[in-house]
Amino acid sequence: MRIGRYRLKLEKRVTLAGWQAALISLFAIVVALALFSIIFFLAHVNPLRAYKEIFSYAFTNRYGLLLTVNRFIFLLFATFAFIIPAKAGLWNIGMSGQLYIGALAAFAVVYAFGGKNSQSAQLNPWIVLPLMVLAAFAGGALVGGIAGYLKGKLDVNEIVLTMLLNFIAFWLVAHMIKEGGPFMNPQGRGESFALPKSLHAPLIFGVPFTIILALGSAVLLEFVFRKTSFGYQIRAFGQSPPAARYAGIRPFRIALLVFLLGGGMAGLAGYHYFGAVPGVYKIARTYGYFGDLSFYGIICGLISLNNPIAAIPVALLFGGLSIGGRFVQGKLHMGFGLDYALLGVLMITLVAFQFFYRNKIVLERVDS
Amino acid sequence: MRNVLSARKGEDMPFVPDPQQRFRPGEVILEMRNITKRFPGVVANRRITFDLRAGEIHAILGENGAGKTTLMSILFGMLQPDEGEIYVYGKKVTFRSPLDAINMGIGMVHQHRKLVSAHTVLENIILGHPRAGKVLNLKEVEEEVVALAEKYGFRIDPRARVWQLSEGEKQAVEIVKALYRGARILILDEPTSALTPQETEHLLESIVTMARSGLGVVPFITHKLPMVLAVSDRVTVLRRGEVVARLETKDVTEQLLAEKMVGRPVLFDLKKPDVPLGRPVLRVENVSTLNDKGLPALKGASFEIREGEILGIAGVSGNGQRELAEVLAGLRKLTGGRIYFDGRDITQASVLDRWKMGIGYIPAERKDVGSIGEFTLVENVLMNFYFDPSMVQHGIIDYAKALRLTKELIIEFGVSTPGPEAKAKTLSGGNLQKIILARVMARRPRLLIAALPTQGLDIGAMEFVRKKILEAKAHGAAILLISEDLDEVMSLSDRIAPIYEGEIMGIIPADEAKKEVIGAMMAGSRVEETQQ
Repeated sequence: MRIGRYRLKLEKRVTLAGWQAALISLFAIVVALALFSIIFFLAHVNPLRAYKEIFSYAFTNRYGLLLTVNRFIFLLFATFAFIIPAKAGLWNIGMSGQLYIGALAAFAVVYAFGGKNSQSAQLNPWIVLPLMVLAAFAGGALVGGIAGYLKGKLDVNEIVLTMLLNFIAFWLVAHMIKEGGPFMNPQGRGESFALPKSLHAPLIFGVPFTIILALGSAVLLEFVFRKTSFGYQIRAFGQSPPAARYAGIRPFRIALLVFLLGGGMAGLAGYHYFGAVPGVYKIARTYGYFGDLSFYGIICGLISLNNPIAAIPVALLFGGLSIGGRFVQGKLHMGFGLDYALLGVLMITLVAFQFFYRNKIVLERVDS
Repeated sequence: MRNVLSARKGEDMPFVPDPQQRFRPGEVILEMRNITKRFPGVVANRRITFDLRAGEIHAILGENGAGKTTLMSILFGMLQPDEGEIYVYGKKVTFRSPLDAINMGIGMVHQHRKLVSAHTVLENIILGHPRAGKVLNLKEVEEEVVALAEKYGFRIDPRARVWQLSEGEKQAVEIVKALYRGARILILDEPTSALTPQETEHLLESIVTMARSGLGVVPFITHKLPMVLAVSDRVTVLRRGEVVARLETKDVTEQLLAEKMVGRPVLFDLKKPDVPLGRPVLRVENVSTLNDKGLPALKGASFEIREGEILGIAGVSGNGQRELAEVLAGLRKLTGGRIYFDGRDITQASVLDRWKMGIGYIPAERKDVGSIGEFTLVENVLMNFYFDPSMVQHGIIDYAKALRLTKELIIEFGVSTPGPEAKAKTLSGGNLQKIILARVMARRPRLLIAALPTQGLDIGAMEFVRKKILEAKAHGAAILLISEDLDEVMSLSDRIAPIYEGEIMGIIPADEAKKEVIGAMMAGSRVEETQQ
C-alpha cells in the first residue's frame, strides 16, 4: 500500500522478543475495547464511563478486587491445565471435568473425616486442608490421566476424550450433590454440604492461600520447561513426535505425565473455587458456570503462547473484565451477557492480533 | 490465434513460436544477457549471461545457494530481474508471470511435482491448456498425447490416475504436459533426483531424443554430476550468483566440474584409513520386520560388523533399508530374529538404552526425524544429551555446558550459522546434516548407523561427511552405512551387502567387488548367481 512517498509492506518476522509480544497484546486489548465501544454506543452509554466503571470496580474497589483475584487464581490454574499438555503438542479441553472431580475429591476428604453434618465440627486444618489440596490435585489428575493414558497407549484423539470426560464428570457431580447424593446439603437446595468453619482456607489480606500455589506453580512450570530434562522432553515431543522418538523420548510417558499434571492443575482450580473462596465453601448449585469459565484457560494459554509467566497478566485481565463486566451490566442497566460479550470480543481480537507475532508491517520510503 | 495473452498485449509479444516450426540446429533460441537479481542483503544473480541453441542440452550446475533457483525463476517468469534482458528466438521479452513464459514456448518441470494426484494423466495434461474449457474431443487429445509421448520415448498411460504412478512416470507426465503445451525450450529442475537408476537411464535417453528433434533442454543440477557428463553438450557453472565457467562437456571431467562448483579441489576418492578390525560390535541374526503398511520389509537379515569396519548396505530406495536402520535404532518392532551389541542381546532394548550403550543413529529424514526446526542448535544438540550425566544433574540441564559443546561442534564441523542460538530450520541441508553428525559423533558411538548420510548434500558437504565417517572408523567405531549411491558405498565400505526387497543378497569384500556384480545383486540376483 502506498501513502505519498512511503509504502507499507508486510514482512515475516524471524524472531519475536517477549516485550514485542507484550506490546502487540496491549495494542490488541486497546483495539478490543475500542471495538466493544460500539455496544455501549448502541445502548446509549458513554464507553469511557463504562470502561472506567469496569476497571475501577475490577481492580481498585476493595470488594471487586477480591472477586477479581479469586477469578484470577481460578483462571490461572485452568490456564496451566491447558499449557502443560499444550507444550507437548496435546490439547486438553477437559479442564471443567477435571476441576469438578478435583472439587469432589476435596469434599470427599472432608466427608471421610466426618465433616459433613456439622458446621461446627472441629477438624484439624493442618491435617485436613493439605489432604484436601492433594486430593483435589489427584482427582483432576485422575480424569486427565485417563485421557493421557488412552492417548499414549492407543493414540485416541485427546480432544474428543477430554471433552467427553467433561460430561461424565458434570453428571457425576450432580449425582453426588443433588437429591439423595452422599454429598447432598442437608437443607437440599441442590448443592453440596458446606465445609465446617474449621476448614475455611486461611486468608492472606482476604485472599485464599491458593494464590501462593497458583503463582508458585507459574514459577515452577517456567523452571521445569526452561531448565529441566523433563521439560525439554515435553517441548521436544511437542515440536516433533518423530524427532522425540528418535531421541529416545517415550511418547506414552509424555502423554500420560502432561495430562496427569494438567488435570491436577484443573483439580486445584476446583478446590480453590469451591473450597477456599470466602463465602462459597461448597460445591455450588451453579457449578456448571465455573466449568464453562474454566474454558477461558484455553484462551489465556493461547494468548500467552503457553508461557506460564505470561499467563499471569492475561488471566488477571480476563478475571477482572469478567467481574467488571458483570458489575457494569447491573449498574448501567444494560442487557444480560455483557461480561461474556466483552470477553468474547477481547478473545477474538487477541487471537487475531497473533498475526503480528508472525508478521510485521514495515514503512519504507519509496524513491523515484 | 492460439495465444490469448499476446493478442491482448499486442506490441509486447508479437511473436509466437509455431510448435511445428523447425529451428535449425545450432541457432540460438534463448539468450539471457547480464541478468542481475538482488534480494535484501544478497545478490542472488550477478550479471549472468547464458544462451541456448536449438537441439542443445545446456546444463546449469551449482551448489545450493549458487543462484540456480533464482535464475530458473527468472527464466520461467516467476521473478523479474533487476537488470538484464532475455531474448527468445531473437526477440526481447519481458515475462510478467509463468504464463508469459509458457506462451513463448518455455516449459518447466519442477523438482517437486505439481500434478493433481486424484486426476488422470490426461486430465492433468490438459489442465490449464488453452484448449481446455472449450469443447474438447478427449479421444482426439488422447491420441495426440500418446503420439507425442511415444515420439520421445515416454511410456505413459493417459487414463491412469496420477497417484498410481512412480516418481519417474509422474515426471514423464510433466514433461509431456509441457511439450503438449507447445514447449520448445524445456527447463528441468534436478531431473534425476528422485529416480531409480533405470528410470534415470530412461529419462536421459528421452532428453537426448528431444534434443535431436530440435528442442533446447536446460537441466539445473546440484549433485548428479555423472548425468551432466552423460548427456549435455555444454555446461554453465554458477557459484555465489556468478557464472564461473562455461565449458563444452567433451572437455570436462567430473573432478573439474566439482572443483569449479565448490571453488577448490574436491577429493572424490577419500583414502580409507587402514584400521585393524577388532571384536564384533553388532551381530544381527535373522532379523525380520514390517513396513508402515504392515507388509514384510525386512526378511531374515543377518550380518556382523566389527570394530573399525564399515559395512555398506547398497540398494535402490525402498528395499528395506529404512526399516533396517529403524530396527537397529530401536524405533521399529521386530517380527523375528535377534540383535546383539557387544555380545549382549539388545533385541528388546529401548531407543534410549541404545543411545546410552553407545549406538548412534543418523537418520535419513534430517528435517522430520533428525532435528527439530523450531529448536535452537543448542537444543538440537541436546537431543542426544538430555539424558547424559555429563550434561544433566538431578534432572536439571546444564545449558551453559550445552552451549559450550554446541559452539565447539559448530567450529569443529564448520557449520555455517549465525550462532548456536539460531533455529535449526534456518540451516541449509548440508549444515543441518553437519550438526546432526557432529552431535551423534560427540557421543563417540561404538556403533554408528548412517542412513543416506550424504543424500541431497552439496559436493563440499558430501566430502566432509564422508571424511567424518572415515574418522569414526579410524577411531574404531563399527559403522553401518546405508546408501543409494553405489559409488559411495564402494569407496567407503570394507564389505558391501546389497539389499533387495528386504533380503540381503550376499556380502562381498569391497576390494573384490565389481560394480556390475553389486548392481545385479541390487536388482535381485544372489551372490552365487552372479559368480557363474
